[in-house]
Parts: sequence; C-alpha cells; structure tokens
Amino acid sequence: MDGLDLLKKDWKKDDKDYPKLSYDELYKMILKKSSSIVKWIFIISLLEFVFWFGISFLLKGTSFSGKMEALDLNAILIPISIVSYIVIFYFFYLFYKNYKNISATDNSKTLMENILKTRRTVKYYVIFNLAMIVLGAILGTYYAINHDPELITKIQQASANGNTFAVYAGIMAAIILVLAIAIGALILFYWLIYGLLLRRLNRNYIELKRLEV
Amino acid sequence: MTAALEHSFVELLEKHQNIIHKVCRLYTNTYDAHNDLFQEITIQLWKAYPKFRGDAKFSTWAYRVGLNTAITLYRKSKRRVKTQDFEGVSFKIKSEDYDNTEEEQLKVLYKAVHQLNDIEKALVFLYLEDKDYREISATLGISEVNARVKMNRIKTKLRNILNP
Repeated sequence: MDGLDLLKKDWKKDDKDYPKLSYDELYKMILKKSSSIVKWIFIISLLEFVFWFGISFLLKGTSFSGKMEALDLNAILIPISIVSYIVIFYFFYLFYKNYKNISATDNSKTLMENILKTRRTVKYYVIFNLAMIVLGAILGTYYAINHDPELITKIQQASANGNTFAVYAGIMAAIILVLAIAIGALILFYWLIYGLLLRRLNRNYIELKRLEV
Repeated sequence: MTAALEHSFVELLEKHQNIIHKVCRLYTNTYDAHNDLFQEITIQLWKAYPKFRGDAKFSTWAYRVGLNTAITLYRKSKRRVKTQDFEGVSFKIKSEDYDNTEEEQLKVLYKAVHQLNDIEKALVFLYLEDKDYREISATLGISEVNARVKMNRIKTKLRNILNP
C-alpha cells in the first residue's frame, strides 16, 4: 500500500475520533461574533475614511484657508469642495458595494479577488486625498505668496533684513510637516492591512494565480 | 422565523460537523487553534446560511465555506502556539488498530501534509473527500486541468514519501 492509499484509508475511517459537539454547544457558537479578516478590513477601512476625511476637514479650518476665504476665493473653493465631497461619497459607495459582494460561498479565487477589490477602492481614495492635499498645499502657498497682503509684507520685510530664506524655509517646513503626518498615517494603515491581515490572503492568492500560468 | 432557521441550521451542522473538524485538522496544529477555526467556520456558515438553497448538498456547501474560511478569512488566533510535534486534535491512533509501522507511516504522512501550503492542503482535502476535479476546480476557482496537474504532483510526492 502506498502513502496515498494509506492516508485515504485512515482519513475515511476515523470519523468517530473527532470531537462530537452537542446541539447546545453548536448553538452557542453561532451566537458569537466573527473575527474574520473581512470584519477587520471593514473597520480599518472605515477608520481610513474617517481619518482622511478629518484631515481634509481640518485643513479647511486652518488660518490658511481662512485667509483664502478673506481673499474672496469662494468662487473657486466652493466648487472644489462640492466636487471633492461627491468623489468621497462615490468612493464610499464603491467600497460598500464591494464589501457587500464578499461572500464565503464564492469560489476561493473570487472571494480573494473581492476582498482585494474593497482594499483597492480604499487605496484609490487615499491616493485621491493625498493628491488633493499636495495640490492644495502647492496652489495655496503659491497663491498666498502672490496675493496675501500680510504674507507679502512679511516677505518684503524679510528680504529687507536679508531673511528671505528663513520665511521660505518656514513655509516649506509647515508643508513638509503636514505631509509627514499624512504619510505616517498611511504607512500605519498599510502595515495593519497588508502586514497583519492580508499576508495570508496575498500568499494564497499568488499561489492560486501561479497555478493558472 | 429566525428561531426556525437557527434550529434547522444547528441540526444540519450537528450532523455534518465532521466536515468542519476535518478542515480544522488539516489547517491547525493545536487544540486551541482547532477550536478557534471551528468557531469561525461555524459563524461563516451561519452567516451564509440564508443563501443556502436546499437543492445543493449541505456538505458540498460546507466544504466551500470551510475551506474559504481556512484559506482566506480566518485570522490566526494569538493563542496559537507553534509546536512541531503536535499532530492535531484527532491524530491519535486507537489502541485496537495499533500497528507500529502503520502508525509511524501515518505520522510521517500527516506531517508531510501539514507542511504543504494552504492551497495544496485544500486540494488534498478535496481529494481525500473523493471530490472530482470538476468540483475541486469549482471550489477553488482554478481550471480543471490545473487542478489535475497540481494534484498529480502532490500525489506523487505523498506516494513516494514512504518509499523514496
């Protein structure tokens, strides 16, 4: 008898070796909460939505954007805000739709693909937010340097004192700080998702894909 | 309504619980991990149960959900301790069947199976459960040809383990 036959014989015969859980024990089990990765991915994704939404919200409340409003930029800012809210809700809708599609009764490959798809939506959302922050910082700074009377006076004073570099360095440092916080948070979320939760899924997905080559 | 659903589900589960135990046996090494995975598969089955249609076999349906949970959804419990020699909850050999060589051989075989990767284990599981390649390919989402090629490789490996 070769190894495989032996294994199959043993596999079949030892039915009675397994723990026999009673009706009540099983009933208690269905009342418990799942700890599947899907639940955690959902929670972390929600946190990401809240986090990036919060960041863009906070940036809107800074003195910087207050000045922009004082400069009567509402004609530009309001449409931009409306578009960005529409985009955010569209992302959330996509995410929720993909999340609802995740079903343990699909075949393994489809299931993995659906989980990865929900993550891809969140990834695009994050990229969108980062791009908005970078773009906003660059445009805002550029506009302020050219149009904000207070800043222009400061720059003029500074250049009279020979301190131009210090003012620009300050502006740069502020931008870099905001970006560092944003990117730090990004790395944290990615570590949680890809380092802890999706490692196994990714490995198995690659293995399944490899079989198809 | 929910009570009736719960009742019918738990009854089916009680009858077919060995399927889940078998999945846990392949994918876990310790008693705690076995119970943990069993618990999670049970929850996933229950969550999916409203979509279960009576025309499919409960067992076939449970294979799929069970394997998906083990391969994809399950997050390893923190309690899990890696021990090399522990052969799983139900690897004990009954005394009436005691046969030193066979026991040793099975130990070697199960150890080899445990060292396969998650996907290979799924293939072995479905093979040991006498599933045909059509069902294996439908469960995993790969083509029949690829399932067959991969399975043949694993089979050869396991066949040769005792007679290298």
